[in-house]
Amino acid sequence: MIKFVIMKVKELNKSKLPVVRIDNSLEKYKDKVLFKDKLDKANEMLKTTGLPKPKKQHS
Amino acid sequence: MKLERYELKAEKSLMVFEFVSEGPKGEISKLVQFGETNLKDFYNLAFGDKDPVTGEINDSVVSNNNDSDKVLATVIATVYAFTDKHPEAWVYATGSTRSRTRLYRMGLTKYLSEIGEDFDLYGQKEGEWENFEKGVEYEAFLAQRKND
Repeated sequence: MIKFVIMKVKELNKSKLPVVRIDNSLEKYKDKVLFKDKLDKANEMLKTTGLPKPKKQHS
Repeated sequence: MKLERYELKAEKSLMVFEFVSEGPKGEISKLVQFGETNLKDFYNLAFGDKDPVTGEINDSVVSNNNDSDKVLATVIATVYAFTDKHPEAWVYATGSTRSRTRLYRMGLTKYLSEIGEDFDLYGQKEGEWENFEKGVEYEAFLAQRKND
């Protein structure tokens, strides 16, 4: 039975949307800035470059 | 994704993921974070190694665990999971060095046909965003889930 479940998870994990196990021990990272340099870079990019131009809608 | 990837764990909001890289250097725990920026619905994607003793994250270390394809496929999988829960999100990513940004570009190129079905993908070049194209050197990448 366990083997069957493991195989099923492996099969499901091949789809584009992965199987994600919720682990409450990761909650402690949620409100922390783990990658400050990169976040600063992203905020700087938003100030200078902004978002891409909206794509034209085809009618 | 046809390529093999690692199993994922995450906290409830799916903004922080963890997986374990396995290779010649042993097991290396990696954290992926979708960090909130100053703009609503705009997130910075970053990932790095978790120090097993201190729990500190290092995004500049080169693990050399001979599994970069599998790691990249796993990180792309986190983008699928994250944008499934946060469908309006913009996801921004850049490497900590030029060579690492190039590595990400090569990875995105490899999966472009699959990613392109589900995401609008952009590359930043000389301070402007353009549609991501193969063979072009970009400074950063941006993706948004296509909402049909």
